[in-house]
Amino acid sequence: MTALAPLAGTSETPSAPQGGAGSDDGAGPGAGPGGGGRRRLTPYWLLLPAGLWLAVFFVAPLFYQASTSVQSGSLEEGFRVTWRFSNYSDALAAYGEHFLRSFGYAATATALCLAIGYPLAYMIAFRAGRWRNLVLVMVIAPFFTSFLIRTLAWKTILSDGGPVVGALSSLHVLDLTSRLGLTGDERLLATPLAVVCGLTYNFLPFMILPLYSSLERIDTSLHEAARDLYATPATTFRKVTFPLSLPGVVAGTLLTFIPASGDYINAQLLGSPNEQMVGNAIQKQFLNVLDYPTAAAMSFLLMALILIMVSAYMRKAGTEELV
Amino acid sequence: MTITLSGICKTFGDFTAVHPLDLTIPEGSFFALLGASGCGKTTTLRMLAGLEEPTGGTILLGDDDITHLPPHKRPVNTVFQNYALFPHLDIAENVAFGLRRRGVKSVRAQVAEMLDLVQLGGMARRKPRQLSGGQQQRVALARALINRPRVLLLDEPLGALDLKLRRQMQLELKRIQTEVGITFVHVTHDQEEAMTMADSVAVMYRGRVEQLGPPAELYENPRSTFVANFLGTSNLFEAEILSHLSALGPSAEAAGEGEEPVESGTSIVFEAPEGAETPADAGAAEAPEGASAEEAPGETRVQVAGADVTLRLPTSRCAVEGAESVEKGTKILVGVRPEKIALLHPDEADAVPATDNQLTGRIKDAGYLGVSWQYLVETPACSDLTVYEQNVERDTRLTAGADVVLHWRPAHTFALDATQDAAAGEEIL
Amino acid sequence: MPTSTASPAPEPTDHASAPRTAALSATGSATASPWPASSRSLGALLRRLRRNAVVMAGCAALAYLLLPNLVVLLFSFNKPAGRFNYAWQTFSTDAWTDPCGVANLCGSLGLSLRIAVLATLLATAFGTVAAFALARYRFRGKSATNALIFLPMAMPEVVMAASLGTLFLNMRIEFGFWTILIAHVMFCLSFVVVAVKARVMSMDPRLEEAARDLYAGPFQTFWRVTLPLAAPGIAAGAMLSFALSFDDFIITQFNAGPSTVTFPMFVWGAAQRGVPVQVNVIGSAMFVLAVAIVLGGQIVASRRKKS
Repeated sequence: MTALAPLAGTSETPSAPQGGAGSDDGAGPGAGPGGGGRRRLTPYWLLLPAGLWLAVFFVAPLFYQASTSVQSGSLEEGFRVTWRFSNYSDALAAYGEHFLRSFGYAATATALCLAIGYPLAYMIAFRAGRWRNLVLVMVIAPFFTSFLIRTLAWKTILSDGGPVVGALSSLHVLDLTSRLGLTGDERLLATPLAVVCGLTYNFLPFMILPLYSSLERIDTSLHEAARDLYATPATTFRKVTFPLSLPGVVAGTLLTFIPASGDYINAQLLGSPNEQMVGNAIQKQFLNVLDYPTAAAMSFLLMALILIMVSAYMRKAGTEELV
Repeated sequence: MTITLSGICKTFGDFTAVHPLDLTIPEGSFFALLGASGCGKTTTLRMLAGLEEPTGGTILLGDDDITHLPPHKRPVNTVFQNYALFPHLDIAENVAFGLRRRGVKSVRAQVAEMLDLVQLGGMARRKPRQLSGGQQQRVALARALINRPRVLLLDEPLGALDLKLRRQMQLELKRIQTEVGITFVHVTHDQEEAMTMADSVAVMYRGRVEQLGPPAELYENPRSTFVANFLGTSNLFEAEILSHLSALGPSAEAAGEGEEPVESGTSIVFEAPEGAETPADAGAAEAPEGASAEEAPGETRVQVAGADVTLRLPTSRCAVEGAESVEKGTKILVGVRPEKIALLHPDEADAVPATDNQLTGRIKDAGYLGVSWQYLVETPACSDLTVYEQNVERDTRLTAGADVVLHWRPAHTFALDATQDAAAGEEIL
Repeated sequence: MPTSTASPAPEPTDHASAPRTAALSATGSATASPWPASSRSLGALLRRLRRNAVVMAGCAALAYLLLPNLVVLLFSFNKPAGRFNYAWQTFSTDAWTDPCGVANLCGSLGLSLRIAVLATLLATAFGTVAAFALARYRFRGKSATNALIFLPMAMPEVVMAASLGTLFLNMRIEFGFWTILIAHVMFCLSFVVVAVKARVMSMDPRLEEAARDLYAGPFQTFWRVTLPLAAPGIAAGAMLSFALSFDDFIITQFNAGPSTVTFPMFVWGAAQRGVPVQVNVIGSAMFVLAVAIVLGGQIVASRRKKS
């Protein structure tokens, strides 16, 4: 190629790289302020306070707990690590029912949250129009009152001889549910139904918000395209809307199930000793009985079981998304 | 301020975005870097702005070395792709941003003046998202220009606008550039934009400057298949050199009439390679189709591949390594722009000037484009020859299926090295 | 139409003007339809029900969410007979005129506010810089750090509560204000990091380049452009932190000392012994105040958009 006039073209001779000040720039473009060779260390400095805090007050306690869970001894004599794994089997023997109940209640509450929350999230995303922001505020608004106070309000709503009990009993619903062991004959409080109702209520916003954010991202023209391609509203929902909202479903169910399975407030306030969950047991062992090894073993067991369930669920949800 | 890039290059890991590049951008010029996405044009611009550190080489602004100056210390401003207006500041504060950072105390009057210049006087207190695309573009321009930079960099500044607005802004930008007299460096993938606005264009391809020059020069005299295809459309077909004569003197025939960028020179005659055996004495023009057998000085003859057709062109229009001494039988690519070709019904073939290059073919498709007709013609040289005819007095016999005679002047013919990809630059939008 | 079950032979206008036709026949005007007016209006009603089923289900869910707040508000005007405020007796504004009339109630509220403000400040500061590191830099151990940030959000509170309590016990650290604060900062951090990181990642890097191009040095770029743009994320993280810390019970219960009673702990204790009406007053006041602030902000924002 010939050079053209004073405006030179390409030079094929590679010039030696000079001034490599930028060559050790590992941060890539837009790395923000900071410069020189120290830039490599910048992220670690930024992470230091939060990382240290979590390492000392979140990770270290988990290890402490693991070691405590195999200790034996008494409060008076002190506890010592004796690799007493029977703490685990003892806890399971004593509180196996609590574990089952926890996961049963949490799963039921999660399913109910999904059933109740999905229509609401769908309505906010597609049908609320100019009311959208108002309805969103109404979903978040309950948070502004302490959740303990709101849970106590359920005691009023479900109280014996109250309007809900009256209505359900005159409709003979209570006859049926009490025969199934879900409620009492003439009462809702201190029954499994009340606890599940409280759990559902408390964690419903955690289901609605992720559902809403994944539904809101769906382009409404996809609905129109599906309708145009001979899908009925039901088929449109099944084949287009729901699959696209799956990330929200997964996030919502996790955000509901995990805290619900460790909760002990609803069981304490709305249930009776027969509805106690693992959380109640851990709380009692830790704060009343002061049997720290047992509390630690149960807490560790709860964590492990939840991690197993969650990872299995996420694997399944992941493959479902692909189908 | 003249910008001088010498040996500037940029690599990201294993990928070389810009190969060592020498480029001089004269003061006050409107310079365009043209190329498809990923060709290195934006990286080059970012190195000028200081947003990307060059892997090697130097950048001079006038006599100052600015290679390692951080962006906020360079007298260079940028109009960003998608404008990058600060969403949390209103229009006036966006425009005043640069002045304030340099400690200018009273910016009011300057901002008002600049907003008037871009016809946004009443918008000072609006937020960027309340403005239309064209208005945002003008704010971005005002925000850069108010700093009186010595060089203004424009990164696809019109890419987000619709066609009509783009045309309007092209003229507007050109007007402002003439008014303020600053050097503009403009990055674009739109060849039309580059050609309407720039004084000189550097066509970039795979991290190198493929060709550089004024737009007309690039269009009329492409030196590579990429340029031939990327700027407008070219008909390229394979051929083989039959003979070629050095310029012995000015040739009225070979040299185009005056305004042709090509001055008289040598011309080469080509012949189709796979065609019937080249006549033994190919040098002596055995022009098959009644083309002028006379050879003019500075003319090259070629035979078209797969056809018994001889074409002529000025040797100076052969962008082949050492075109002057190239051997007979060398393969090359012959090109001609679609609008240079005239179509005639075979009955009027006599009207073809004897010195013209001539082909026969059959129309495959005729498309109406308003200002012109576009024909696809099947010829021995090329099965899809494109021809544009002005929509003036169309011969109604020229419909799909009709036989036609095509002809064009040798001076409108160019030749390129056959070792390159004939389709380079074609498929890219 | 799949919904025309109730009127098997719909006339052409049936679908579009069903409610009006129904209204006409109800007032006695003659219609040409051979079908009784009641069955036709029933068909229209069913169709409307079906079309708006989602909206109705959504409104029912909304009612379920808001019902307890209304009950709390209603019972803040109650004058209970005994110590428990679960059954309606008579209307009274006694509690509203004397919200601090119960021993330790307003003290616990003050403690909760102090802890929430401090925990929010610390968690927001630490979480924001960590979020910038995760959003802007590539470094060794980044995915491990991301996992560390995510884990506290995927763990039941009672596990974190018990394990942190175990640590403090073993270290023989006295439970009290500082242990609560440490715990609150710990679980708020992740939420701040997630909120700020999402915001920073969605920010257009060209805005900062534009600032540098317009003569802003590194510090000015950060102060004038980066920080204002990240502000909504930081604010969201801070608000979430405040709400989480102020309302936390489980982790607080495991890590509080005998003299540090936060507001949720006060309510918990009251639930065992008898709930004073003032608890409802404070719950309702916070609810009304917060909703008023949010709605007011929305109205101001929409006005500003219009003008």
